[in-house]
Amino acid sequence: MKKFKRRLSLTLRGSQTIDESLSELAEQMTIEESSSKDNEPIVKNGRPPTSHSMHSFLHQYTGSFKKPPLRRPHSIIGGSLGSFMAMPRNGSRLDIVHENLKMGSDGESDQASGTSSDEVQSPTGVCLRNRTHRRISMEDLNKRLSLPADIRIPDGYLEKLQISSPPFDQPMSRRSRRASLSEIGFGKMETYVKLEKLGEGTYATVYKGRSKLTENLVALKEIRLEHEEGAPCTAIREVSLLKDLKHANIVTLHDIIHTDKSLTLVFEYLDKDLKQYMDDCGNIMSIHNVKIFLYQILRGLAYCHRRKVLHRDLKPQNLLINEKGELKLADFGLARAKSVPTKTYSNEVVTLWYRPPDVLLGSSEYSTQIDMWGVGCIFFEMVSGRPLFPGSTVEDELHLIFRLLGTPSEETWTGITSNDEFKNYNFPKYKPQPLINHTPRLDSEGIELLTKFLQYESKKRISAEDAMKHAYFRSLGTRIHTLPENVSLFSLKEIQLQKDPGFRNSSYPETGHGKNRRQSMLF
Amino acid sequence: MTCALSPGRRKRVWVRSPEERPGSHCRAPLKRNREPRYRQHSSSDSGVADLFDTPSPSSDEASPGAGASTRRAKEELQLELSIFRDYGQEWYCFQKERESRFLSPDSLAHQPQVKEESRCKLISWLIPVHRHFYLSFESLCLAVNILDRFLACTPVAADCFQLLGVTALLIACKQVEVHPPRVKQLLALCCHAFSREQLCNLECIILLKLHFSLGAPTLNFFLEHFTHLRVQQSQACDQDMTEAIDAKAMARGVAELSLADYAFNTYPPSLLGVCCLGLADRMLGHQKRLDLSISGYLDSVVKDCMEKLQLLVSLNGTSLPRLLPLELSKKHVKTES
Repeated sequence: MKKFKRRLSLTLRGSQTIDESLSELAEQMTIEESSSKDNEPIVKNGRPPTSHSMHSFLHQYTGSFKKPPLRRPHSIIGGSLGSFMAMPRNGSRLDIVHENLKMGSDGESDQASGTSSDEVQSPTGVCLRNRTHRRISMEDLNKRLSLPADIRIPDGYLEKLQISSPPFDQPMSRRSRRASLSEIGFGKMETYVKLEKLGEGTYATVYKGRSKLTENLVALKEIRLEHEEGAPCTAIREVSLLKDLKHANIVTLHDIIHTDKSLTLVFEYLDKDLKQYMDDCGNIMSIHNVKIFLYQILRGLAYCHRRKVLHRDLKPQNLLINEKGELKLADFGLARAKSVPTKTYSNEVVTLWYRPPDVLLGSSEYSTQIDMWGVGCIFFEMVSGRPLFPGSTVEDELHLIFRLLGTPSEETWTGITSNDEFKNYNFPKYKPQPLINHTPRLDSEGIELLTKFLQYESKKRISAEDAMKHAYFRSLGTRIHTLPENVSLFSLKEIQLQKDPGFRNSSYPETGHGKNRRQSMLF
Repeated sequence: MTCALSPGRRKRVWVRSPEERPGSHCRAPLKRNREPRYRQHSSSDSGVADLFDTPSPSSDEASPGAGASTRRAKEELQLELSIFRDYGQEWYCFQKERESRFLSPDSLAHQPQVKEESRCKLISWLIPVHRHFYLSFESLCLAVNILDRFLACTPVAADCFQLLGVTALLIACKQVEVHPPRVKQLLALCCHAFSREQLCNLECIILLKLHFSLGAPTLNFFLEHFTHLRVQQSQACDQDMTEAIDAKAMARGVAELSLADYAFNTYPPSLLGVCCLGLADRMLGHQKRLDLSISGYLDSVVKDCMEKLQLLVSLNGTSLPRLLPLELSKKHVKTES
């Protein structure tokens, strides 16, 4: 208990202003040489213990001034973990050895810390495995590698594995599992063949690619890491979130490859995005397909919202669709952010068409309902074949919204009349128009649902969860509500796409739209 | 401000104060009216027992915005509640289920150089730093979690420990903040002891070592969850709401203390969250206190954790008021006297 008290006492010191303590705490960031401090008196008065004066700290840093504070692997960082760090090349750069650091797509890498430290002591363990000649079945392999069930590993790899794998009935440690993932090619750029470029943005370039391992098509999103500010926010958010999101209606992150200057995210490949899908059917989608797509959007979104993940950037370009009609949410670069930018770092204007009016008026409120407005806009666009509010500036966007839904008043939007931004715009007082005039193909239940998405006040907007239960979806049957999270809607035989009336070409041509495809995957 | 000439040629200034920072490069917003004001000074440093000493608020601090900020807090709370009704329970179950995977109770066990004291100092420094940039408590919690989990798997040299601290903070901010601090600003806070390249390299190493698992359930999340739950149950009675808001602010102060103390690394954030709120209620002498059994922990477990927090609070008597919003530290003093 005494020790406990001593520890506690060191926690924080009083008596200075915040600024003073900022500097003083910085002073106190001194070198802790050893455990000799244990005998020191308890510090209560805000003065640093005499032994670690500022001088020692300064000397320390000046001493190492020409060397980087991040030491060479064999000295400090990585000491016993030397194998994790390569020798610095120019004396000022720490490079990373990739072999043991790779993250597999096993989705279980979360426990990186703690458990791995003892395993790390013998990084050669991989090579010292017992050899065995048991045959390995595909299912065994997929289970052990936590690969998606439908993944097909070429025979060559299986044979290679049999030489170096441990007996299959023994539990595999996380570490050796990761090693074997790397052995068969996960986390290595060589495993993927780059095909054509799909698009390029400020932070990333997206390629279509093929995995040599599975022969599946993949989307390779190559993120440049060499920026003034280090790794881009969007990349950090996207990876950390997608690792936790496993759902049939959310794009799967298969693998992450880290090379010297870039980070490559390997996603499953989907043929097209919703924008392109609508273009390909001449903007006349089957109204039945609209329902199936909308339901899938809501299903993916409800899953995100249940995990407190907001997408924040829903638009047709971010909704990917494969030939089966499975729709998946992509591009989580803005999710978890607190505000939605109107411009990217390179000052490209971000589309405003799917932004809710409260956000356009400057709200940075962190709420799941922010996504629901966009769902309404996308729903309308699928039904009518044209974007609902294609504004070019914030003012233009708001103007379009108010012209259709009526300029908000205290009755339709509590507190709006005291919103300064709103007052400054001084919009004319428009009366709301009936939505049915613009969406003649939509039945009354559809109109009702659409209206619930397009509420001015975020708290009045219907949630994704409730929207899925709306009468509009009754015709899809009841089994859609009880599907497990990772199971596709199309596993139900009653769910089938109809031919879209305006559909022109059945072979999903690669031409024409190639240039603008997958803007969604870009930052 | 302490300066010193190093034997070489450089003048070092340890930390720039807000006045000094070059405004033109500042991306972190300087003006923030939502944020409650924090005490700028406190009057005593007498040690253990002075938590309850009068912190002598000066007259110019007498708050014209006090009522307004409470009102704003209430409005925000109302708004959050409407979403909480839909998703609160599921968020809680999800985070609670994940929290054990992000704990690292023995993060320093294999550290050759970094000891409890240095961890404490680093985090005690990060607390004012995160305030300095007007960062959220969520960012601070995430930063400490990143720091600990990295320490648990990588031996770190004492002389780059501060760099690790700011890098962890940067990664945390990149996840949740509108404007993460600039690398330049962070380097300046470390008195340019490190280079941009070193910081970016370390960032990369951390991301890879933690396999990009960065979104730990935080103490901040649980403080908010239990507060929402309490307000929801109180059926929007105004007095109860004020108490809930005050308790949360006080609990945040206690929570910050606990983050800096290695001894509390063994407690999951959901337990710490409920105990901080329980202790805050007690310190503020609230009539209707949070029902601690909603946390699902055994009474004995809650009691043990709360006793340790109580001890922590009494040992940090002078520090705590500085972590609280001005109005609350006044209120706190009033109830105690």
